[in-house]
Amino acid sequence: MESYRTEEEQVEVLRRWWQENGRSVIAGVVLAVALSGGWQYWQSYSKSQAEGAAALYQGLLEDVTGEQISSTQRAAAVERTEALKANHASSTYAQFAALHMARLAVQSDDLAQAEAELRWILTSSSPGADVKAVTQLRLARVLASSERADEGLAMLETGADNAYAASYAVARGDILMQLGRDDEAREAYQQARLLVAGLDSPVPLQTLEEKLEGLNPVPGEPVTTESATEE
Amino acid sequence: MLQDIRSNIQGTAAKIIIGLIVISFSIFGIESILLGGGSNSVAEVNGEAISPQEVQQVVQTRQRQLLQMMGDNIDPSLLDDQRLQAEAIQSLIQQRVLIQAAQGEKMVVPEPVLGEIIASMPQFQINGQFSPEAYRSVLASNGYSPAMFKQSLANDLLVNQLRSGIAGSDFVTPGEMALSARFNAEQRDLRYLIIPMDEYLVDDSVSEGDVAAYYEAQADEFMTAESVDVTYLELTPEAFFVPVSEDDLQAEYELAIQDYQYATERRVSHILFEPRDGESDEDLNARVAVVQTALAAGEAFEELAKVHSDDIGSASFGGDLGYTTGDAFPEAMEEAIEVLEVDVVSEAIETEAGLHLVKVTEVREGSAPALAEMREQLERQVQERQAAGELVSAVERLRDLSFNAEDLAGPAGTMELELQQRDGITRDTSDELFSNALVQAALYSDDVLQGGHNSEVIELSGDHYVVLRIRQHNTPERLPLESVAAEIESRIALERAREGVSSAAQSALEKLRAGEGVEAVATAAGYEWQVELGAGRSSLSVPRSVLNRAFRLPTPAAGESEFDFVIDAAGDALVFEVAKVTPGELAVMPEAARNGLRRQLGVEHSRLLDIEHLSALQSRADIDVL
Repeated sequence: MESYRTEEEQVEVLRRWWQENGRSVIAGVVLAVALSGGWQYWQSYSKSQAEGAAALYQGLLEDVTGEQISSTQRAAAVERTEALKANHASSTYAQFAALHMARLAVQSDDLAQAEAELRWILTSSSPGADVKAVTQLRLARVLASSERADEGLAMLETGADNAYAASYAVARGDILMQLGRDDEAREAYQQARLLVAGLDSPVPLQTLEEKLEGLNPVPGEPVTTESATEE
Repeated sequence: MLQDIRSNIQGTAAKIIIGLIVISFSIFGIESILLGGGSNSVAEVNGEAISPQEVQQVVQTRQRQLLQMMGDNIDPSLLDDQRLQAEAIQSLIQQRVLIQAAQGEKMVVPEPVLGEIIASMPQFQINGQFSPEAYRSVLASNGYSPAMFKQSLANDLLVNQLRSGIAGSDFVTPGEMALSARFNAEQRDLRYLIIPMDEYLVDDSVSEGDVAAYYEAQADEFMTAESVDVTYLELTPEAFFVPVSEDDLQAEYELAIQDYQYATERRVSHILFEPRDGESDEDLNARVAVVQTALAAGEAFEELAKVHSDDIGSASFGGDLGYTTGDAFPEAMEEAIEVLEVDVVSEAIETEAGLHLVKVTEVREGSAPALAEMREQLERQVQERQAAGELVSAVERLRDLSFNAEDLAGPAGTMELELQQRDGITRDTSDELFSNALVQAALYSDDVLQGGHNSEVIELSGDHYVVLRIRQHNTPERLPLESVAAEIESRIALERAREGVSSAAQSALEKLRAGEGVEAVATAAGYEWQVELGAGRSSLSVPRSVLNRAFRLPTPAAGESEFDFVIDAAGDALVFEVAKVTPGELAVMPEAARNGLRRQLGVEHSRLLDIEHLSALQSRADIDVL
C-alpha cells in the first residue's frame, strides 16, 4: 500500500482522483438506481398483470362451472374472455378461457364458433405446450363433427406422439368409424385401450369398451377374455 | 481463535476466509448453516423440498377423516403411519408437481380473490355472514392455523385453475354423441331357453367309493383350521377396587354437589302497562294507580291482568309468565322478583317494555340430589381414581415378572391374578378380546408361537392390559372322512349336475345351429323359453348374464342368427339366439338416456385427459424420494 506523508497530500490525492473518476462514479450510481427502480417497477407490473388475469379467470370458472349456465353467466364469461384476450393475450389464462368458450360453443351446437376459439389458441400458444396438444385434439374432433373428418384426421397426425396419446387414439378411432374405416378404427381403439392400461392410474372407459364390442371382432372370439361358461 | 483471526486479519488468507463467510451468510442465510440445509426433507420435486412436517400434517388429516368415516371400530392397520406416509408423500409430490406447473404458466391466486372465497365458505358463516370467530374455531378444531389454511387453500385453487383449464374444458361433439349412441342404444332380438340345474342334481347318484376318492384327491381341502390354546392374565382397574369408606364417599359427594347445577325457580305473573302513543307519564301512572287501588280493595290479580295488562300473550292466563331461575326477564324485574314474597304484588317496575306490576305465585327451592341417589356413581368414581395409581404400578410389575418368568403361573401367584385359559383361538376368531389386532399379532408372532415365550404386556385401552402365552399350538389336521362325507357328496353331485347342464346346453346349441328354432328345441325337451325383440344393453327383462354375452357376439348376417350359451350364478344354462342387430339412434333415444350418455362421455374424456396431463407433468419433473 502507498503511504502519504501529510494530510494535505492525502486531500490532494483524493481531489485528483475525484476529478478523474467523479463523472463515471455519478453515472454509475445513477444507472444502478435507474436499473433497480426499473426492475422493481417491472416486477410489480408483472405481478399486477398476473393477478389481474388470475382474477378474471377465477371469475370465469365460477361462471362456467355447473350443469346449467344462465345467459347472464354466459354473457359474463364472454366478457371476461374478451378482456383476457385483449389485455393478457399471451397468458395461459387467455388460452384456458378460450378452451372454456369452445366448450360452451360445442354445447350449444355452434361448431364454427368453437373452431374459431380453438384456432385462436393455436396461433397464440407455443409449440410443445400442453395446451397446444389439447387444443389440436379438440379442433380435430370439432372438424370431424362438422363433416370435415379428413381434416380432423390430418390434424391428429401432426400431434400423435405426445403425452395425450390415449386421448388422441380414441379420437382417431371415432373419426375412422365416421369414415367407415372400421378395421382401422378397431386398431385405434385397441391401441387406446393399451395406452390407458399403461397409465399410472388407469381409468375404466365404458364407452370405449362398447364401441370395441360393437366393432365385431373375429366371429366366435369374444372381445374380452371372459369365458363363455363362467359367469 | 477469534483473537488469532483478529491479529492475523491483515493476512491475505484471513481476508479471503472472512470474505467467504460474509458471502455465504448473505446468500444462504444463517439457517442454512445452523440447520444443515435440505438434508431434512422427505422428497424433492425439481429441487423443492417436501418436509416431514408436511407429510405428518397430511397423515393426521387422513387419520381424522378415516376415524370420522368408520368410527372407533376401525381396523388399526388402516391408520398405520407407515402406510399412510407413503400415500401422503405420493399425493404431496403430485400436488407439488401441479403447483410448479401452474406457477410455470404464471398462474397465481390473488390475495383479494382468496379472501372473497374464504368469506363465502358456509362453514365459516353464522347466519349467512362471515364470522372471524367461527373461522378461527373451525380451523383450530381441524388442526390448521389461519396462515396454513390460506396457503393450502391457495394451493388447491391454483391446482384447480390448471386442471380446469386442461381437463375441465373438455366437451362432447354432436358427432361423438351420434357415434356412441349407435352402440350404447343398440338393440338385439333375443330368444333364449333355460336348462335348470335342478334336473341334474341327483343326490343318490354318488357312491361311497366316489366320496372316498374325492376325499383322497382333495386331501388338503379338508383340514381343521390352525388354532392356539392360550393362557392369559388380564389387568383391569376392577381388580384394585376396594370398598369406599363413608368419609371418602361424603367428601366426594360434597365435591360433586358443588358442581351440581341447582337453582331456585320462581313462577311469576305480571300486569304490563305499555305507554300508548302520546300518553304522558302522568296518564300512565294513573292507569297503574287504578289497578293498585283495585288490588288494595281485594280484587284478584288474575282478573285485573285479564282486563288491564297490555301483554296480550300472558293476560289471558291471568298474567302468568312461567318460571324463572333469575335470568329470564330484564334485570330490573329479576331483582324485584328475587326479594318478593309469594303472593305479594310489587310496586311498579320500569323496563324497556313499560311499567310492570309483578307477583310471585310459587317458589320451587332447588336442591341437590341426595347422597343415596348418587352413591353408586360416586363409589365407582372414587374406586376408579384410587385404582388408577395401583394399576399403573401393577402393569409395571407384571411387565417385569412376565418378562423374566417361564410361564404365567408364577406372576399370577405373586400378583394374585386369576390365570385364565381359552382353547381353539383361530386367526379369524370373532371373540372380542382375541380378535383384537394387537392380540392376534402377538399370538402369531415368532416369539410367542414358535419360541413359547410370554408375550409382552399388551395395552388394549388406557385401563385394560393383557399378557398371554401359548399352551398348545394346534396345526391344521386332516378332518376324519365321516365328518366331511356329506359335504363331499353334495359337492360331487353339484359337479355332476354342472357337467350335465353343460352338455345339455352344448347339444341344444348344436340343434339351434343346425337350424332348429329355440321354441322347438325347448318344447321338445320341456324347457322354459323366452323371446325379447329389440332388447337394449340394460334391458331389465332379460337376465344380465345373457345380455353381457349377447352384446359381445358378432352381428349376424341378414336373415341369419348367432348362438351361444352362458351358465348363470345359480348354475342354470341359458342358451340363446341373437337374430337381428339394430344400431342405436341418437334421435330416438329418450332424453334421460341421452343426457346420461353425454355426461358419461364427458366424464370419461376429461378424466382420461386429466390423468394423461398429470403423468406428463410428472415425467417432466425431477422427482427424488429420499
